[in-house]
Amino acid sequence: MSATYTTKKILVKRSYQFLALILILLAGGLFLIPKHQKHDGIPPEQFVKNLLSTERYISTDLLADRMVNQDPVLLLIDTRTTEEFEKFSLPNAINIPLAQMFDENLNAYLNQDIYDIVLFANDNFLANEAWMIGNRLGYQRLYVLDGGLNAWFETIIEPPYPKETMSKEAFELYAFRKAAGKYFGVANDTVEIETKVIKKKAPKKVITKPKKKKKMPEGGC
Amino acid sequence: MGPLIPNELIPAEWNFVLAILIGIAFGYILEASGFSSSRKLVGVFYGYDFAVLKVFFTACVVALIGLNYMDYLNWIDMTQLFVQPTYLWAAIVGGFIMGIGFLAGGFCPGTSLCAVGIGKIDGIVFTIGLFIGIVIFSESFTWLQPLYEKSNLGHITLDETLGISPYLIIFIFTLIAILAFYISDVVRKRVKKVFY
Repeated sequence: MSATYTTKKILVKRSYQFLALILILLAGGLFLIPKHQKHDGIPPEQFVKNLLSTERYISTDLLADRMVNQDPVLLLIDTRTTEEFEKFSLPNAINIPLAQMFDENLNAYLNQDIYDIVLFANDNFLANEAWMIGNRLGYQRLYVLDGGLNAWFETIIEPPYPKETMSKEAFELYAFRKAAGKYFGVANDTVEIETKVIKKKAPKKVITKPKKKKKMPEGGC
Repeated sequence: MGPLIPNELIPAEWNFVLAILIGIAFGYILEASGFSSSRKLVGVFYGYDFAVLKVFFTACVVALIGLNYMDYLNWIDMTQLFVQPTYLWAAIVGGFIMGIGFLAGGFCPGTSLCAVGIGKIDGIVFTIGLFIGIVIFSESFTWLQPLYEKSNLGHITLDETLGISPYLIIFIFTLIAILAFYISDVVRKRVKKVFY
């Protein structure tokens, strides 16, 4: 047996041992890699794209229009606390406080694809947070009421009267807002309508005296 | 990122095209490694050639470790991979029959087609037998159906069934593989060499 053959044989043998060692090290290395949490829902890139888009916002006018027309797929969700919700909220809204978003019973309202869910709070902040969580988890058809209840009050409940120089559309919008406000039960109308109360003279009552009926002669023959 | 087709990084229409390309590559590697020779294949049973055991065991361990690292690096989502359902008794009986066929014929289904590809007569005879077997199975399917469908344990995996870490299973499996390689080498040295 030549010397080169022996060295080659050793090298081959060693290389197999080396390969076996690599396999064991790699298999053992799996224990060392840190556990990483896998996120449910959409990938982060998509989430950021959704976040930057303003498509999620629905204006108070559009919402009012859909509510007035009794849109059957509309579902309003109030993300404020229960105390705030009990004081006032939008009609037919469901209260899901942000902290209780993952409550089993309440979560079923959010994780669905039947309704257009409009999230709202006093402003955009809480509703946006709820939207972000929901969107990241891949929930469908979530919207945010732009400006929240503050905007609702400023536009629907107490809309500013447009200036005289404003366009026709502004006046039409104002008229719509006023009408919507009435629909939602705004009682104190700021525009006072003069109403003439015409008092009609009460017609004289004609008292008719019942005529005495002639008595038919009784009996007789 | 992966798996590429379910995540639509590659359109689903490419499924069959890729399957054919991978199949050709697989067949080429089988042929190039000498797996189209029935003598090499049955060498495992007679103890003079353990190439089959080494190749498939190595492929298995490399894929196992590689996939787990790739899963960690987010290159592939392991939860999206298909796990074959376990039909316990069907697998036992089928494995037994397949073992007898393998030993008697000297091929497994894949390598027999490889042998047909290079025009080996024993491979052709084996493949004809394979198709006869398929016809018999199909014709007696109503009779075999209870065995075929019973004992379906679903998409189970070892780590879930035993309740231990998958990494531990991989580690043990790797050790078993290397031990098997070592023992097979010892056996091969003791058995009389066969030249083919």
